[in-house]
Amino acid sequence: MSQAGLSYEQAPPYGLPLRYFLTAPLFLQLAAVAAIPGIKDWTSDPHTLAAIALTHLITLGFLGMVMQGALLQMLPVVLGAPVPAAGWVARLGHTGLTLGALLLAAGLYRAQATLLHLAMAVLAIGWLPFLAAAAVSLARARTMSRLTLIPLRLAWLSALLTVALGLWLAAVLAGILDPHAIERGLGLHLAWGLGGWVLLLVMGVAYQVVPMLQITPPYPAFYARWAPGVAFAALGLVSLATVADLPALGDLGYGLIGASLAGFGLVTLDLQRRRRRRVTDATLLFWRLGMLSLLALAPLPALYLKLPGEWQAPTAMTAGLVFLLGFAASVVNGMLYKIVPFLAWFHLQSQTGARAGTIPNMKEFLPDTQAMRHWRLHLAAVLWLIPAPWLPPAYAAPGLLLLALSAHVLWRNLLGCVRLFRRYGGRLA
Amino acid sequence: MEDLLVDARGLEPPEPLERVLASLAQRRPSQRVRLLLHREPFPLYTLLKQMGLTYATELMPDGNFCILIGDPPLSRER
Repeated sequence: MSQAGLSYEQAPPYGLPLRYFLTAPLFLQLAAVAAIPGIKDWTSDPHTLAAIALTHLITLGFLGMVMQGALLQMLPVVLGAPVPAAGWVARLGHTGLTLGALLLAAGLYRAQATLLHLAMAVLAIGWLPFLAAAAVSLARARTMSRLTLIPLRLAWLSALLTVALGLWLAAVLAGILDPHAIERGLGLHLAWGLGGWVLLLVMGVAYQVVPMLQITPPYPAFYARWAPGVAFAALGLVSLATVADLPALGDLGYGLIGASLAGFGLVTLDLQRRRRRRVTDATLLFWRLGMLSLLALAPLPALYLKLPGEWQAPTAMTAGLVFLLGFAASVVNGMLYKIVPFLAWFHLQSQTGARAGTIPNMKEFLPDTQAMRHWRLHLAAVLWLIPAPWLPPAYAAPGLLLLALSAHVLWRNLLGCVRLFRRYGGRLA
Repeated sequence: MEDLLVDARGLEPPEPLERVLASLAQRRPSQRVRLLLHREPFPLYTLLKQMGLTYATELMPDGNFCILIGDPPLSRER
């Protein structure tokens, strides 16, 4: 197979993904700080408006922010699939996510319909152009690594469903639509958002970046080919069971979701164990925590509804914390520590045509010691917060402060890398 | 003329890129660089285009990639 002379669109300018990456830690910090005053409103039940508001500061403001930025960077550069009008898509996506997440959180916190109306419009602007552009890119992708394309395309579909369900739920909360079936809609929004968009996207990205950055063998071909489809089908079964009221089908779907979490966690941990480069850096540790979190979550989808009633709310809270902070935020952090310094090096090299040794290398752009400091704070915050839903509300406060501090350290680390890039004459645009 | 071989399989980014750029700077006029890598290096293509160089990528049976880099037009024959 040969592809001489194929014309690849240039990598997007450094400033394009960076605006997302530098904004995201601020949202994690905001979520942690905002969670402290109303601590008893959210630790008790994940369905309170305060808990939903905080969740969206993390899912939209932190995770969605990094994931959009990373995809706009990765689609052309890793998969050779240019994103049309990437500059405009990034401006709309970044602005829409930033304002939309703030408006949504404020609207939920204050239970104010006007803010929710605004949030819906702004979030639609933040997501729809991005999804349209990503669709064109994913349809045109010409890559030899086709295994990555399948989970990314399924993640795209999941994102579309999540956004559509989210807009519908916001319309219900804002009093525009009839509230019947809101519980079902909430469950499906959660399932497609976390189990579809987040998990499938991480799988697709992992197929590329785990072997590339952690120098492991590739994901086993049989697993890589089938696992995303199984996870997606499981979500389909759960949706069908929810809509048509078929509990047995739901059990099968939830069982398969649990198996997907466990399978991805186990396969990735095994690859990391067999890595050729024996160094343990922050990215490896963040990813290991992410995969262990998936293993911890795996039995839950099947068991949740069989738990005693009074255990369900705190279990759901704990699961949410393990998924969002233990899994998703950890793999995002691990990725940022590779993407941001690599892009700094790459763009500086490309802009200056520098000879080796005359510009900083990746480790100088973002030293391991700084990344490890963040890793320790993040681990401490996650471990502290996991039992919080089972303990008196005040217990969570130190964990939230640790989380805010760890997000601040992440932001400073990324900013330091960008400052060094600028000092050597790098251009962001 | 023998191709300049860069075996960057199993190296952590951006070392493969650094090595291939160093080899391109060192090569003799019209000499080609043959890069062996465990993945397809899309970022390298951007740099090569900027440098006015041409490349041909081949997926090898063992799953690694062989990227032949030289001045245009690139001949695949020795």
